[in-house]
Amino acid sequence: MAEPAIELYCCSYRYNADIPALREVSCTIPAGTWAALIGQNGSGKTTLAKLCNGLLRPDEGRVRILGQDIARQPVSKIARSVGYLFQNPDHQIFAPTVREELAFGLRNLDFPPVEIEGRIEEALALFSLEPYADQPPAVLGYGLRRQVAVASLFALRPPILILDEPTTGLHWGATQALLDRLAELHRAGHTVLLITHDMRLVAERAEWVLILHQGRLLTEGPPRELFAQPEMLARASLSPAPITRLAQRLRPRGMRGDSLTVEEFYREYTTLPVPFRGKARALP
Amino acid sequence: MSTRFDLYVARSSWLHRLDPRTKLGFVGVSFALLFLSSHLALLAAYLVAVHLLLWAARIPSDRIRWLWRQMWPLTLLILLLWPLFYPLGQPVLWAFWRVRITLPSLLQGLAAALRVDGLAFAVFVLLVSTDQARLVQGLVRLRMPFEWGLILAIALRYLPLLYSVYGTITDAQRARGWTAEQGSLPTRLRAYVPTLVALVIAALRLSDTLTLALAARGFRPGHRRTTYRSLHLRRTDWWCLAGLGLILVATIGLRLGLDW
Amino acid sequence: MEPIIAIENLYYAYPPLTAGAESLPVLKGVSLSLARGECLALLGPTGAGKSTLCLTLNGIIPHLTGGTFRGEVWVAGRNTKESDPGELSQRVGLVFQDPESQLFNMTVEDEVAFGPESLALPPHEIEARIDEALETIGIADLRHRSPLELSGGQKQRVALAAMLAMRPEVLVLDEPTASLDPAGKASILEAVLRLRRETGMTILWVTQDVDQAPLLADRVLLLGQGRILLEGEPGEVFGQTSQLRSLGLALPQMRELAACFNDRQESDYTWLTVEEAARDLGEVIPPEGDRRG
Repeated sequence: MAEPAIELYCCSYRYNADIPALREVSCTIPAGTWAALIGQNGSGKTTLAKLCNGLLRPDEGRVRILGQDIARQPVSKIARSVGYLFQNPDHQIFAPTVREELAFGLRNLDFPPVEIEGRIEEALALFSLEPYADQPPAVLGYGLRRQVAVASLFALRPPILILDEPTTGLHWGATQALLDRLAELHRAGHTVLLITHDMRLVAERAEWVLILHQGRLLTEGPPRELFAQPEMLARASLSPAPITRLAQRLRPRGMRGDSLTVEEFYREYTTLPVPFRGKARALP
Repeated sequence: MSTRFDLYVARSSWLHRLDPRTKLGFVGVSFALLFLSSHLALLAAYLVAVHLLLWAARIPSDRIRWLWRQMWPLTLLILLLWPLFYPLGQPVLWAFWRVRITLPSLLQGLAAALRVDGLAFAVFVLLVSTDQARLVQGLVRLRMPFEWGLILAIALRYLPLLYSVYGTITDAQRARGWTAEQGSLPTRLRAYVPTLVALVIAALRLSDTLTLALAARGFRPGHRRTTYRSLHLRRTDWWCLAGLGLILVATIGLRLGLDW
Repeated sequence: MEPIIAIENLYYAYPPLTAGAESLPVLKGVSLSLARGECLALLGPTGAGKSTLCLTLNGIIPHLTGGTFRGEVWVAGRNTKESDPGELSQRVGLVFQDPESQLFNMTVEDEVAFGPESLALPPHEIEARIDEALETIGIADLRHRSPLELSGGQKQRVALAAMLAMRPEVLVLDEPTASLDPAGKASILEAVLRLRRETGMTILWVTQDVDQAPLLADRVLLLGQGRILLEGEPGEVFGQTSQLRSLGLALPQMRELAACFNDRQESDYTWLTVEEAARDLGEVIPPEGDRRG
């Protein structure tokens, strides 16, 4: 197994005396994995994510990033290893131009000026932001503001990227473009932890899924395994993507019930041995 | 952490049931009383009376302790500094170099401290027993324009949100490697630009959407509105107001007459 | 029957950000009509002008925003150029995406009362409207709670109730579930479906969630490049797969599956929901008494 990128040992956290946000959560995410963190609002997803970059320190337990305990490291230092994208791009945009906004993180982490220039140009190109490079990001439309926020994360190219619901409010095309950029980084060896409610996204892109429920890690595993257990998902008040639900309903017909994509479903269905009623006929 | 920036504690006591205008009257009369008298006994009696009032209204003691915790540094400061800056009269209790601590000035310092505590508790009585909506409504009935009341109400409602947004913004910037802990004072002040600018922009966006929401709900500044919740001065209110009026007259009279 | 909303050739550009700069047109010739009792879903990529279109329906555009406005918008027989938002708010209710910035009172009761208070209605009438609105949305138990303590889904339901208290003839919802978690989304969907069933309210629902649209829409409109590009029943609109893709919009996943079958076999499936697909693909229905959802 690859070096672990993120390790949590029995971590607990409370925001106030009443309700624990996280209860004795332990998990390991190997380097180079694309992991998805799912669960209802209030299940502790954001809390767990913030433990990974030091924004929150566990009341109990330990957190190791890339093999090192981060308990004594300041957030600004951990930021070199862990990039974190907040859900609302408007909670970080402040600069007078898009260029300046992209430069912010790079300057904070002491990249040399020449490299900063290069990375900014790269990020602008990658996210098609060149026409807006010298405009204030705050006056751009919502979709563009989100791209500026993502671009400023990408410019840092940290080994681990944590993104909190980066696709909310984006239409499908923009979502796929963002995920494709993430996929490129993932192929290059970066670790990705994505918090999301979009089950199609999880089914299509994630290698590993962690399900949180009421502050506990309910279960973790590859999407195929987890989505094939509707009772487990139901306990966390989640339901899988439509195609998986369809596959599960067709289990009596012989489907395994773990289809993650339309293509998979089609291939499995058209090789079922049992003849069926319906308008089309199965191909041999 | 309370999600609202207010002191209100919900109870069903006679104090809570009083009209907010009566309680505003109480604050006004208290201020007059506290500023017009310098008599230590009176000031101390006022504080005792307010505590009895709060106890009768079943305000939890931890709230009262909270207020004392906020007030004691200021109280201590006044007690220490007053005699140093206003040495007067006899007998001198202690003198060194150019500093003279006299008994009268110590007592005056105590009076000043008690006065400040009294003022704080007067306002506390109002805020702990009146929820924000009724307070604003009371002010509007006292002829404050509704728009001002709305501004006040919206500010009270959104301050906690902006406070938490500021927290999120600082987290987001810290996650990008930002710190504001190094360097000289000017450097550190400048370092707050990324967070403060983002906050201002967020606040502006919020006010924008809020305007749309208000318009969508039919709000038209300057137009006539009705109120669903009614405010009536009841018999208890009139009795209290009468009592407060008497206290006010007595205080002014005694002050002028006896020169307290 | 006269449509309850009629938009003819609407052109709108927001005023420029700085004096002398060019204004950017958002809507470039939109025409649509909505019949009483209908539920219309409006789809379109981010930045297509969906929110702008919503704001023209209750007069906020052009009365509060200025800009360049051409064309006609008729709402319940009134032209929006001649009626101000105050009047139009009694015809058109508008629920926004962000639950936080449209609830500004300290209790749910005050929030729902705010609209009728702005209309200067007498207190007993306001009471009746509050009771009715809370009952219809099913949040009577939240009456004395503070909106600050509620979940996203509850907040949006409060916003719905607050709009219903205005007794509008049309309800416009601008991506009401976009910021909510799946449970919240389901609760809003359920509340609106119930509202339709019980009152026959006319609804315009703006959404990016294509899996959601077929569940409630009688008709679907696609807004892109400032104009209505597609219009029709969900089955028809979602059949235009290449046009939707070129605009960067997803298809409902079941429609994608149908396209998969249709491309490779001689079928003509038009599924939009799991229900429809399961039926055609030969779902085995267990004997009576053993039925699972």
